Amino acid sequence: MGPRVDGVDHRASSRALFAEMYAETTSVARRRECREALVHLHLPLVEHCARRFRNRGEPFDDLVQVGTIGLIKSVDRFDVSRGVEFSTYATPTIIGEIKRYFRDKGWAIRVPRRLQELRMAITKATADLSQDLGRSPTAREIADHLGREVEEVLEGLESANAYSTVSLDAGDGDPDSPASLLENLGADDEALAHVEVRESIKPLIELLPQRERRILLLRFFKGMTQSQIAAEIGVSQMHVSRLLNRTLEQLRSEMREVG
Amino acid sequence: MRTRSDVELRLPAESAYVAVLRMTTAGLAARLDFTLDDIEDLRMAVGEACALVLEHADSEGDLRASYDLSDGSIRVSISAGAARGADPDEDSFGWQVLTALTSDVLTHREGSELWVSFSVRSSISA
Repeated sequence: MGPRVDGVDHRASSRALFAEMYAETTSVARRRECREALVHLHLPLVEHCARRFRNRGEPFDDLVQVGTIGLIKSVDRFDVSRGVEFSTYATPTIIGEIKRYFRDKGWAIRVPRRLQELRMAITKATADLSQDLGRSPTAREIADHLGREVEEVLEGLESANAYSTVSLDAGDGDPDSPASLLENLGADDEALAHVEVRESIKPLIELLPQRERRILLLRFFKGMTQSQIAAEIGVSQMHVSRLLNRTLEQLRSEMREVG
Repeated sequence: MRTRSDVELRLPAESAYVAVLRMTTAGLAARLDFTLDDIEDLRMAVGEACALVLEHADSEGDLRASYDLSDGSIRVSISAGAARGADPDEDSFGWQVLTALTSDVLTHREGSELWVSFSVRSSISA
């Protein structure tokens, strides 16, 4: 973090950066730097917005992350000639992004706060213990770590499945992920060496959102565990579990329709 | 072969009850000190095995699950009455998922009862 800037300086540097970014003489590389600097400069604004949504069952860091997406959108869309302060312009967009996140991640059924908190504690304990142990922890290890009963941990894990199943920004394409699961068939995974995916399932897999397809690939064609997949794509293991289970269910029901 | 399972459950042969089996399986595996990844695999496997069996099951029949528990390993057998004859399709995606997640996947018939069974070992005891 750079030195703290007070409000006036902050606004001045914001204006200067925007002016430079839009100046005709500015190089493309410099424009990119300005854009980055603007995002960094306003990160405290995102944290401020995210703080308003704390204690609602989502980790603060996640809120900052989605809020930052709102900030980046704002930087890209801000019209300097309008004469409004950037922060005034950006705040609704940032908050909108955070609210959208809550809507998308809403619980399908109401889960008691106690369980939501437990679920978060388990998610954190799972990440910490995986790091320490170099493998996925057992329920007992998590329970010991949290000073709780194994039953409680199981209950918490189960409640994670109550999350809604709405689309999770399926459209966000990841350029690093394989273009198609099918391109990767025939990878040298012994367990699946004999797999012949029937013709009927190919189009169904191709229709899956990119992220779901990628998780399916990593689990069944790369043989990665859910924890490894979680680390690879940057979400929690529980989230991988939900996506994977939903995908399998979806494929199953679609297969049934196809006959 | 053992004649007695350590745990047995009987439920209506409807997909709505599969969630109960998945949950129960997770509870049993946690008691055997399976890791969360193992448990997730087990839950998925139970879901797939049930789907394979239920596809052919007689409606209004029973879905049975039995578990043989040993140190660091669990064998799950899912069965249902399926008088109409068809067996699980071993080329199906569900079967492939099951064989990828578990070992010793078997399907067989005893009279009109259709079985799918598989084993999962804890990655710690391995």
